[in-house]
Amino acid sequence: MDAMIAAIGFGLVTASILALGGVGFTLQFGVTNILNLAYGEVMIAAAYAAYLITEAGGSVWLGLAAGAAVGAGLSFVLNRFLFTPFIRHGTNLFGMVIVTVALSFILQNVLLVVFGATFFSLEMPPSQSYRVGGMIFTGTGVTILLIAVAAMGAVHLLLKYTRTGKAMRGTAANADLARSCGIPTAHIIDLGWLVSGALCGAAGVALVMNYPAFTSSTGTEFLIPIVAAAILGGIGHPYGAMLGAVIIGLSTEIMAGVVDPSYKDAFAFAILVVVLLFRPQGILSEVAAQKDVVA
Amino acid sequence: MSSEWQHYIAVILVYLGVYTIGSLGLNLQFGVAGLINFAFALFQAVGAYTAALLTLGPPDEAGFQQYLFGANLPFPLPIIGAAVAAALVALLVGVISLRRLRRDYEAMVMLVVSLIAVSIATNAIRLVNGANGLSLVPKPLASVLGLNPYGTDYQWVFVIITAALALLTFWFVRRVTHSPFGRTLRAARDNEAAAAALGKNVSLLRLETFVIGGAIAGVSGALLVQFISSWGPGNWGISLTFLYFAAIIVGGSGNPWGAVAGALLVPVIFIEGVRFLPVSGPSIDALRWILIGVLVLLFLWFRPRGVVPEQPRRFPAAVQRQDSVPDSVEK
Repeated sequence: MDAMIAAIGFGLVTASILALGGVGFTLQFGVTNILNLAYGEVMIAAAYAAYLITEAGGSVWLGLAAGAAVGAGLSFVLNRFLFTPFIRHGTNLFGMVIVTVALSFILQNVLLVVFGATFFSLEMPPSQSYRVGGMIFTGTGVTILLIAVAAMGAVHLLLKYTRTGKAMRGTAANADLARSCGIPTAHIIDLGWLVSGALCGAAGVALVMNYPAFTSSTGTEFLIPIVAAAILGGIGHPYGAMLGAVIIGLSTEIMAGVVDPSYKDAFAFAILVVVLLFRPQGILSEVAAQKDVVA
Repeated sequence: MSSEWQHYIAVILVYLGVYTIGSLGLNLQFGVAGLINFAFALFQAVGAYTAALLTLGPPDEAGFQQYLFGANLPFPLPIIGAAVAAALVALLVGVISLRRLRRDYEAMVMLVVSLIAVSIATNAIRLVNGANGLSLVPKPLASVLGLNPYGTDYQWVFVIITAALALLTFWFVRRVTHSPFGRTLRAARDNEAAAAALGKNVSLLRLETFVIGGAIAGVSGALLVQFISSWGPGNWGISLTFLYFAAIIVGGSGNPWGAVAGALLVPVIFIEGVRFLPVSGPSIDALRWILIGVLVLLFLWFRPRGVVPEQPRRFPAAVQRQDSVPDSVEK
């Protein structure tokens, strides 16, 4: 039982990182209608930016801001100069997946050439541990939880209470209808790349805060649980991704803590299989249904 | 020709043969049926692991590698077994993921399945020796023919086996592509709703193609493991799948000749393309992947149909109808 409660603590931290990454991923797909498989590489590019800032003497918070900025900027630029031109050129959904995968290979290996094949770790300031019930949180764990809660709160406020956020939801639900209602969808899609990119960058920085070491391929590895969380919650649905992140984060860590750590990924896979078999559109399926994800 | 050169050429020929077989299998799935199978390397791996297990003897408790079982079967049973096992896994994966999902969503699911399979093979050591992989897989026919399995003569025997299987696969894939089955697949690829409206069971057709392509991938994996006699998780990452996609996009999707062209061109570009760059060490490999990524993007932009484009097909009935147009001068 003690192992279980301790595992829940770790699970909450993992769920926080997954929520940042999953909400970014799902929002990106929802608003922009592009399934960006280079997402993991953008995450790691942001992590390298945070690493450079902290190595230069900047604080972790400055590194986080830099990571979010790099994630937002890179996503925006990639869309403007790669994805949009390809779509205008007539590349279909079929081809766009290949475009994003080709891009993920290019980005990952550019990072490998620039930073080399060594492992990096983000230097975190020393801090005490906190005990809550039977759970133990490191200072880093608390930082990550705070980042995730703040970001989720901000996303909630943005989508629920601002005109921009409502326009984003409208664009995600039905871009054509949104356009005929006078929403400047092109502008909103640009914003969608910026916001989801910032979340992606923040997720990358949070990920390497928690990881002992990272390298250029870490993003691809972490893409599995992020995608699983987004699919489980219902792709395109930000609250679904939050829910999916909590389910995947808690269940994989409990599995690792109580049963066997080597079955962590297998368990995430089992969840994914069950979802795809019985509810391929995910738990909260409104956006997925609008986008004909499941015919 | 010196024996070193012979050895070198034989190795290259075997690799090109394996690559050609794999490309033909993926082309059937991706080019003809429109399935973005980002788990392609998984089926190659299933074939390779199965062939290795069927060729190896029973595991020794004190041995340096752990695995499920060893059947010690003679050639060609391990290759057939590999095709069957890969087909079964393809059936399983297909039933889970080919659920009439949007195509990019389906591709992402496949990618995740592939990544997770690598992690399971790495962590479940008892299955296929985990991260270290299987090694010392006996080579087919070496003892029967009384040849040294590492000698040049044996290499040429293997080239012949590979070439025979590649030709067989080409013939088979060409037959499938030109059959009514292949025609229906292309119809479903180009307009799913229309094909379904004509009473075609699109989901079943796609699943069947997925299984056939999986079996072909299994054969290519089996050949490869029999040749290099070892196989581990490092051999079948997502990068391998991407290399096959690159071959099909560069070569031309939808027709077997394009798959062959890509399978011959892409490895050459991959290996030789960075020859004149002033770099060395791990960067050279990274630059290779960047080059392949850029190549794929350039082809998608400038020549999305590849070096050998799929030919639009004309059918006798359509020609007749054209001829019977009243103001046509010729009869």
